[in-house]
Amino acid sequence: MVEYDEQNRKMVLKLVYYGPALSGKTTNILQLHELITRKERGELMIMDTVGDRTMYFDLLPFFLMAPSGLKIKVKVYTVPGQVQHDSTRKAVLQRADGVAFIADSQLSQETINFESFENLEKNLSIVGLDIEKLPLVIQFNKRDLADICPEEEIRNDWQVTGIPFLMASALNGWGVLETFSKLAELTYDHIDRRYHLEAEHGLSREMFLLKLLPRESE
Amino acid sequence: MDITTEIIGEEKRLIDILSEEDVLPLLSTAIEGGAAEATILDESGAVLWHRGTRTGDDVPACFLPIRLEGEDIGQIRLTREGNKSLPVETLAAILQHSLQTILLCRLKRIFTNQVHSKVVNLSYEELLEKNRLLTLSEKKYRDLSATLEKKVDERTQELNAAHLRLIQQEKMTAIGQLAAGIAHEINNPLGYIISNLTTLKSYAEKLLLLAEKYRSEDGCPPGRKESVDSFWSELKFDYVCGDLIPLVTQSIAGAIRVKKIVSDLKGFAHMEEGSTSAVNLNEEIERTLRVLAHDIPHNTRIVREYGDIPTFVCNPGLFCQVFLNILRNSVQARTEDLQLHIRTEASSRGTLLIFSDNGPGIPREISARIFEPFFTTKDIGNGTGLGLTVAYDIVKGAGGTIEVSCPETGGTTFSIVLPSQRTP
Repeated sequence: MVEYDEQNRKMVLKLVYYGPALSGKTTNILQLHELITRKERGELMIMDTVGDRTMYFDLLPFFLMAPSGLKIKVKVYTVPGQVQHDSTRKAVLQRADGVAFIADSQLSQETINFESFENLEKNLSIVGLDIEKLPLVIQFNKRDLADICPEEEIRNDWQVTGIPFLMASALNGWGVLETFSKLAELTYDHIDRRYHLEAEHGLSREMFLLKLLPRESE
Repeated sequence: MDITTEIIGEEKRLIDILSEEDVLPLLSTAIEGGAAEATILDESGAVLWHRGTRTGDDVPACFLPIRLEGEDIGQIRLTREGNKSLPVETLAAILQHSLQTILLCRLKRIFTNQVHSKVVNLSYEELLEKNRLLTLSEKKYRDLSATLEKKVDERTQELNAAHLRLIQQEKMTAIGQLAAGIAHEINNPLGYIISNLTTLKSYAEKLLLLAEKYRSEDGCPPGRKESVDSFWSELKFDYVCGDLIPLVTQSIAGAIRVKKIVSDLKGFAHMEEGSTSAVNLNEEIERTLRVLAHDIPHNTRIVREYGDIPTFVCNPGLFCQVFLNILRNSVQARTEDLQLHIRTEASSRGTLLIFSDNGPGIPREISARIFEPFFTTKDIGNGTGLGLTVAYDIVKGAGGTIEVSCPETGGTTFSIVLPSQRTP
């Protein structure tokens, strides 16, 4: 649910990186922090961790300005993936405008991915979000490792769901921007329907992505 | 559970994060350090906190932003006293750095608190729910363990009852088979007894004619008449002549009755038709009455109102048991001036079979129990307490109902309703 302050001409979007423990959610957000180094980016806030594992959430804010003067703030959150932090996940997931599900491509993690995805479905319904309507992308991370699920198999498993999926190696920095870009694109389409970003604020989807992500030249 | 009250990471303003206690000591330090005025402004430029002497707008001031999540959410404004030369910029920078650090720490604490309280609340709600379910489940098990023994007893009794009912039914069947077997064996000698008796009767008639002839004037040799007459009297032949034919006739009638009873017994046991067939229930009731005939008191009045009822597909032997058990109850209930009223009728509810008597009726308090196995009011040894139970089971097994009622006018009425649409 978009946080929209009409008086101050400000809109806040919440994107959540979800997924099983150690699938690379924080790595994704760290890479985003590295790759997008523009002025309109806030500092990465990593909340307290225990043994380098996310305990609460990480937060990375971005800004952009629509031609109309509307300021759009995009806040990217991660959730803790460990099973025991389910209540925290639920709390962070509240009012999300889009979700990137970061799956671990390793063969040994297949079941854990499915369980985590089921957990996402369950928690979305608990916090009152419709998985059918919510912008959602899936990233298969850790493509650089050896024992991973073949892309062909992933396609067979996930294509039917209609959810866009991308391959990535967050540690090496590839696939990270693509995932974020795809999620931003879907989120734009979703909120444009309600807030008429293009019609009323002169902000097209291309412009939105261009402002949010670094240009080739940068 | 209201989890929408506070959203984690919701936008915060400077005033939401910092407090007077955080800021004012820092501002005071700046004044002590030589600044004329130290002010913190919010995002719209309004004064939030202030220390020092108000200086006019004309005094050059040093402005530094306070940033949060990459956004300016406020400003630091420091002025120096007009005549002093002071590195107010350095002071401002120190102030800015301190405030940023406090801000970040405060924000993290706010977020941590938000998550923590939310998680605690959610966990608490979940624990409450879990506790509620556990309490329910515990209660269920407690109830179960408390009633388990009783339930086992009940089930055991039911099983015992069912077992004894089965035995009773089998016993009835066995008795029926035995009776039918004996009846079959009796039938053959009975056949020639009746046949021979009939022949004997005609022979006796001839013999009597011959004796009559021999005694008459023209039949008797001359001079022998007196001694024949005397011998005739000696043998009381007048009486013999009078008694012989009725004697044989009665014997024939008796034998025919035996034959009838045997045939009814055979029919009753239905040796030859162990399975189901389309049965005329009126005939089965009649057959039962005949089998019961020796038990029915002499002065009993039986009113039959047989209706035109459709044939019923069933095991006729079993239904004879139903009628037998009901009728025997009536017969045993009253020995003098017993009246039996039997009515059958085809109705919209099905086939009605109604048996009424003018017996003492069944007390209200036990009428609900009469179909229970082993419930009997008869003396020990006289009743098994299973007769009506067996009747109940058979009727129920055929898809019908059996009820008992005791009208105000007295007596007992058993009403059986059988489904009319039974096709073989």
